[in-house]
Amino acid sequence: MSEPVRGAEPAWARPPERHADADTEPVSGAVRRPGTVGAVGLLADDPAELSPPAATIAGLPRRAVLAGAAAAGVGVAAVVASRTIGGGTSEPTRAAASKPAAAGGFGTRDESYANAGRISATVEPGPTLLYPTAGEAAAATQVVVPTILDTSRPALHLLRRATFGPTPEELAEVEAGGVDAWIARQLDPASIPDDEADRVWGAFPLASADPATIRASIERDKWDAALDFGKATLGRQIWSRRQLFEVMVDFWANHLNVATPGPGSWDVGASYHRDVIRRHALGSFTDMLLASARHPAMLRFLTAEQSTKDSVNENYGRELLELHTVGVAAGYTEDDVRTSAYLLTGRTVVGERGPGEEGTFRYDPGKHWVGPVSILGFSDPNASADAGLDVGDAYLRHLAGHPATAATIARKLAVRFVADIPPPTLVDRLTTAYVEGGTAIQPMLDVLFRSAEFWAAVGQKTRRPLENLTASTRILGVRPAGDVRQSMQSLYNVTGKAGHAPIAWPAPNGYPDVGAAWRSAGGILESWNSHRMLVGDWQDQLTTPDPRELASGATTAGGFVDNLCARLTFQGFQPPHRDALVAFLGSESARVDRDDLAGGAVALVLDSPYFALR
Amino acid sequence: MDDRRPTSLHPECPDVARLGPTPADGAVRALAERVAADAETRTDVWRHGFSRRRFLAGLGATGVAALGSQLVTARASYGQPGATGTLVVVFLRGGLDGLSAIVPAGDPHLAAARPRIAVPAGALLPLDRGFGLHPALAPLHQLWARGQFTAVPAVSTPDLSRSHFQAQDCLERGGSSTGATEGWLDRVLDHLGPGTTFRSLAVGNTTPRSLVGDQAALAFRGVEGFKLGVGEGEFAIRTAQALASLYTGLDHPMAVDAAMTLDGLAITARVAATDAPPGVAYPDGQLGDRLGELARLIKSDVGVRVACVDVGGWDMHTNLGTLDGGAMKQQLTSLGSTLGAFAQDLGPRLDQVTVVVMTEFGRRVEQNANAGTDHGHGAAVMLLGGGLAGGTIHGNWQDLAPDALDHGDVPGWNDYRDVLSEVVAGRLGLGADALAAVFPDHRAQPVGVMA
Repeated sequence: MSEPVRGAEPAWARPPERHADADTEPVSGAVRRPGTVGAVGLLADDPAELSPPAATIAGLPRRAVLAGAAAAGVGVAAVVASRTIGGGTSEPTRAAASKPAAAGGFGTRDESYANAGRISATVEPGPTLLYPTAGEAAAATQVVVPTILDTSRPALHLLRRATFGPTPEELAEVEAGGVDAWIARQLDPASIPDDEADRVWGAFPLASADPATIRASIERDKWDAALDFGKATLGRQIWSRRQLFEVMVDFWANHLNVATPGPGSWDVGASYHRDVIRRHALGSFTDMLLASARHPAMLRFLTAEQSTKDSVNENYGRELLELHTVGVAAGYTEDDVRTSAYLLTGRTVVGERGPGEEGTFRYDPGKHWVGPVSILGFSDPNASADAGLDVGDAYLRHLAGHPATAATIARKLAVRFVADIPPPTLVDRLTTAYVEGGTAIQPMLDVLFRSAEFWAAVGQKTRRPLENLTASTRILGVRPAGDVRQSMQSLYNVTGKAGHAPIAWPAPNGYPDVGAAWRSAGGILESWNSHRMLVGDWQDQLTTPDPRELASGATTAGGFVDNLCARLTFQGFQPPHRDALVAFLGSESARVDRDDLAGGAVALVLDSPYFALR
Repeated sequence: MDDRRPTSLHPECPDVARLGPTPADGAVRALAERVAADAETRTDVWRHGFSRRRFLAGLGATGVAALGSQLVTARASYGQPGATGTLVVVFLRGGLDGLSAIVPAGDPHLAAARPRIAVPAGALLPLDRGFGLHPALAPLHQLWARGQFTAVPAVSTPDLSRSHFQAQDCLERGGSSTGATEGWLDRVLDHLGPGTTFRSLAVGNTTPRSLVGDQAALAFRGVEGFKLGVGEGEFAIRTAQALASLYTGLDHPMAVDAAMTLDGLAITARVAATDAPPGVAYPDGQLGDRLGELARLIKSDVGVRVACVDVGGWDMHTNLGTLDGGAMKQQLTSLGSTLGAFAQDLGPRLDQVTVVVMTEFGRRVEQNANAGTDHGHGAAVMLLGGGLAGGTIHGNWQDLAPDALDHGDVPGWNDYRDVLSEVVAGRLGLGADALAAVFPDHRAQPVGVMA
């Protein structure tokens, strides 16, 4: 990289100073719903482009560089009287808000989508109580929310939320052994043998490879390893018995998103997802955050490796606050963003010419800015470059434990597991659990499953494209066979076409987790087509279900439909919907002898709202 | 006005005239009535059970989203006669550096602030009022010569921050922190009145925030590949019937989405079947694919009124580049040639289309230490198509002297809501009351972009 240009040094590039004047906020008010703190989604290059670029694109990385380097508005939001040239009015203009929270509006992308319009305006207050055990909560909670889904089987609801899709075997296990036992087992994933998922994972050696091996195996900047990891991940989401673990891995991978494939992840992406996300997914957020802040994949993705005391880059400093931890509503200022960036300088990734192994993390004291800092309650003299890494870690620990971070993560967890507009009582309870558990994740899950709000929310989430595909594959009992790599490629392509390939969202804010952001005719059509594809002929790739087996050998249309609905959705359909399926097959007593109709009926059950909701 | 609801009034029936102040309005109202009747028929049939008769026969023909609330609360828009046509909003995500596109050529402060990346004045394509166009946007300069391209510099809106998310969210909800939860285009559609399934399009995988709300938008990548894998013929018809029935009687947004998907399938099948050979070759890439599909739909008369397309890649913090190469030149070349192809593809239809190219914020005047630019404030808005007041650059502008700037940023000397109000009034015919509802807490001031 060439010498940075040094013109007249602009104000923003100067290191943090003490400012006597307080920030003046624009008049129009605080962030909507100040009680609910959330992480702001920052959108980078292609926020609307949910599909990862095709694997055939030669490896020119798209820069997902983000908001960051240098906010200009130091201190005061000015009102400039316009001396107009060229006519028009002389309305005074405003400058950008110097405190993101003061600009108003919604705190995060998902909140904004979920609260749009009249459709999602009102949320009925439901049961709110914490029980001693999940089993008691499940048994005691009355589901009063209107839904077409069967509300009489809490075990089914648990599987719809805590896995990538229920299966008859898993449901039987939960109903036999009880929800408490199932949850306890799932929270100890190492105790669950996982042969089938391991075999699929093993078909992608690069997914288990360290960065040096990957660098030796593929061309520089090519996406082979990153795509392999995505396909292997999809394989685990579908076939792992450690389902709650996989759901949490997906949750955290979105929260601390590093686009995979994406800029800078060609060699280190697999390691990031293994060593930062998967290692800590059921551990503590502090550990995960600290690990992410030293991982080459994150430092490259958010261009922190280019940020030095002489040429600071506010990308990572901003995202850390806005997305990873406290969120906009915590009220940090642009000065804080700058300080955050300066404090994290020195964290670099070894380049091609060393010193040391390329692509590894290296702290360089020569690049670290020294000087006293004070951000959101964290203060440190930061007087020594050599101690800069430790000071940075102390700052990260402070952020991880900050109440605003607790509220952010609590809300996101509630959105994932309960509802797009989560009950505030539950969010508060989860916030407390996070804080009291010292940022550990399992106590939050424990509280979640013991809360009535969780069990009361049957049918309140819609399946996003990835979830629809995994749930379809799981309920049909599709199994890997023959060419595993080829079948995973086909399944991965389905998610990619719908814009929801695992871990591939190009921006740091991760995939949206609310239904309103996924409403799309194109997406619906992809789902419907994927159902037909799964029932079709796979030619030695996956084992496909036989529709007649799924219908337990029923010979008449009426029985066929009833059995299919029970087998695939664990319930019957309301009479008009049932009648529609019977009409598709002919009439109540018609024989089902056409294969295309039999297969078509299976697809239609999966197309229906009974499967689209969860 | 007469209260009786006509159940099958043909648009040419003389009675249509009495449904509205003009025959055109009456026809629209008749269409709405027809579709509401279709929806009722279907719900009725669904309620009482049905056999395999093709009760859906009417649905594809009228091609209207039968379950959307825009019909339940049908309001014909009695706008100016001839105020038809299409508004296309191209959103450049990441923050386009307006000073690289619509360049204040003669301003010495620009060269001083950007020694590595300022576009030399001699290379610019001349516009007006001292502005020049980046040469990579040459196709747009051809439109300029025909009065079909203009721009407004230094556009923003109060309450904008330097957060990508927040700035986009604010603009897409209509530029204010209070009140508005739906997208601004959703409110436009609310006041536009009833229309076809294709009246509101997001060409891509998802619906942008500006279209999110109770009015249903159709999000899809285009006619190409928009097919349900059931072939054509009897099996396909059975399947479509079953799908329609499975989503009837469901009180959930996905019921609207499913109905629109099915309508969309029927109509795109007809569009694909009656397709003319492609008019122009679009540049490779996603934007070319999407604008090509959009042009095809506009020319097929399926009733597109509002369309949104997103383009990423504008957040150039490092190495913006120069005329010799780099990110900016690459992006502008792609944008200019693709928009040029779009204009050419539409041909005479361009007169009924207005394209607004907008972004969340501009960039700082001064380049940064990595020969890039950081987040700024005032942005450049470009417009192309019909109905524009061409030949000049519109809006307020001062200069880039440091004391004119806001902490180093171009201020928002012009308000987005003024520009968008004027476009929506001129292109879609919304009146002052409707505009006041689309942009609450704002009195739209004239900018002069529409003729």
